[in-house]
Formats: sequence, C-alpha cells, structure tokens
Amino acid sequence: MEETNFVLLWKEHYQKIDKSLSINKRLLKELLTEKAQSAVRSLMRGKAFGIFAAVIYLVLLGLVLFFTIKNYHSAFNYFLFSIGAIFLINLKALCDYIRHLILLGKVDYDGSVLEIQRRLRQLQASLVKHCKIMVLQFPLWTTFFLSSTWFPGQAGVGYILIQIVLTGSFVWLAIWLYRKISLENLSNRWVSLFVSGVGGKSVLNALKFYGELEELEA
Amino acid sequence: MTSTDKSDLFISILEGHKGIIHKVALAYTDNKEAKEDLVQEIVLQLWKSFHKYNPAFKYSTWIYRVALNVSLAASRKENNRAKRIDPLREEMLSVAQSEESTVMVENYKKLQEFISGLKELDRAIMLLYLEEKSQKEMAEIMGMTPTNISTRIGRIKDVLRQKFAELPQ
Repeated sequence: MEETNFVLLWKEHYQKIDKSLSINKRLLKELLTEKAQSAVRSLMRGKAFGIFAAVIYLVLLGLVLFFTIKNYHSAFNYFLFSIGAIFLINLKALCDYIRHLILLGKVDYDGSVLEIQRRLRQLQASLVKHCKIMVLQFPLWTTFFLSSTWFPGQAGVGYILIQIVLTGSFVWLAIWLYRKISLENLSNRWVSLFVSGVGGKSVLNALKFYGELEELEA
Repeated sequence: MTSTDKSDLFISILEGHKGIIHKVALAYTDNKEAKEDLVQEIVLQLWKSFHKYNPAFKYSTWIYRVALNVSLAASRKENNRAKRIDPLREEMLSVAQSEESTVMVENYKKLQEFISGLKELDRAIMLLYLEEKSQKEMAEIMGMTPTNISTRIGRIKDVLRQKFAELPQ
C-alpha cells in the first residue's frame, strides 16, 4: 500500500465516524462538577491507606524506641541500634513516597509530549530509588533480638558462627540488591521480581518506555 | 467569565474536537471499557488544564498534547483505574453502531492493528501524520524538531508498508 493510501484510508473511515460520533453532554457536565472531584479523591484513597498504614507502623516503632530509651539498659544496645535504623530507613522511604505522590499529582499534561513523558518517567523511576533504600534494613532484622549481655561474650562459638553467617548473608543480599537495583539492571530476573513486588508493573512499564525515549532522543 | 460560561465554552470546544479524543483513546486501548476510562481521564485532565490554556496554540494542539500525554501515562499504569462516573458505564463518546459496522473495512482494521503494534511514541507520531498535521504542529505537540519528526515518519511508513506487503493477497 502506498503512503498516500494510509492517509486516505484513515480519512475515509473517520469522515464517517466523525459524523456519527456523539458526545454525552450530561455525563460530561457531571465529570466537570463535584462528582469528578470525588472520583479523583477515591483514587487517592487507596494510596492514602498505604501511607496511613506506614505511619501507624512508624508510630509503633517510635513508641518501642521511646520506651526502650526511657528504660535504657546496656543489654538493649543491639535492639536500640537495629530498631532505630529500621525506623529511620522507613521514615526516609515514607517521605520519599509522599513526595513522589505529590509531584505525580502536580504534573500538568498540557506540555509537549516528550517533556511531560520525560518528567513522568523520572518520577516513576524514582520508585526504583525507594526500593534501594528499603533493602538496607534487611540485615537489621537479624540483629535486633541480640542482647549485649550475652552476645558475643556469653554465646557459644556455634551460635556466634550461625549469627555471623545469618547477618553476613543478609548484609550481602542488601548490598547486592542496593547495587543491582537500577534502571539498567531491570532485565535481571531477581531485580525485576523485587522491583515489581514493591512498585508494581507500572515501574517495569515505565522502564520499557525509558528505552523508547532514549532511542527517540538519540 | 463565570464558571457556567467557562464550562459551556469548554463543552463547545470539546464538541468541536471530540474526534481527536476518540481517535487517541482508541489507539492506546484494546477494549471498550478501557477506552471509556481513558476518554474520561483525558476530558478530566483537559478540564484541569483549561484555565491555563495558551491561546498561542490551536485548541487542537492543546487537546492532542493532553490526550497523548494522558494516554501514554495510562498505558504504563496497571489496569486498576477506578470507574469514574457510575457502574452503568455510559459512554462519553459513542459511535452509532450501524454506521461503525458498515465503514469498518478490512484495510482500515489492518491499519489500526499495525498502528496499535507500534511503539508508544511512534503511535502518537503516526496518529498526527494520519490527521495530516503540519510538521510544525507535530513538532509543537511532540516537543521534537521537525527534522526528527520527518525522519521518524519515514521509518514508521516503511514498517507499515512492509506489514501491508506481507499480507496475503
């Protein structure tokens, strides 16, 4: 088929369609009024619930930290350090996530396609950074239960070795994931599984599009 | 301008350019329900940006920009958009059924299928090309240089020609 025929074929079809295309004005007016606003609010509710759950989690961690510090004993050192670091990592992740949602809500769609899509792509890719931060807490979940009074001084060699292997492997996993999780490495099956678990398919779709934009701008 | 005047003006502009929204939504969705969700999302975003519409551009340029940006963003989301208005799923833009079935020729269906198979940005460029937009307007909508647009169109047309050539006669 010749190139002019593409346009002719398109025009011929849509000249007829345009005539029979009707707009539902009642529905349109509803969309422009309060109902539209409530629909947008309902979309945000799901995300707000996630934030609410994270805040409750942080408050609980904060309370545990508060009472541990209030009743401080050197036996609590491992616990204080581990839970304190987990608290800070999750606080940072939550702040990043809220910032991400605010920026996403502020995106105007009336700019040029490449400019807006580039901005959206950057925002979606920021979820990848969020994943990187979250993995840093993995090793801390293997140390919070240790007590300064019996570890390592009063623990047997076997237990110390098991603990070293356990914490060591989680440190290795956290470092590996931290270094691997990047825009470039999403073709890696494990990284892809991990990111899609945290950010959903939208992140992976955003990254496919990333390649397309790069190609277009090259 | 009162809010009623503003919404009346918006509705009349939309009425005059409804075909753009229909075509873009159709190019970026694969079923009727998803298309209707996308139409509503596009209209909502047009309404949100209406107060800062820049008269330096044509209405069609503004509508294409919003429609394409919303469609590209929506195509990367998971399919979990909430139903906007009511569960009856009335259509904002509808095509008379009898008219549609008579005009659906085989070649058009193939063209639509091939366009759907293009990369997301190429699909946007091809839509604008088929609408016979000038290179200048296409560049304004896409945010690319006219040369870049022209090169891209050439490549897409080659792909489409090739696909049509491969069809059994």
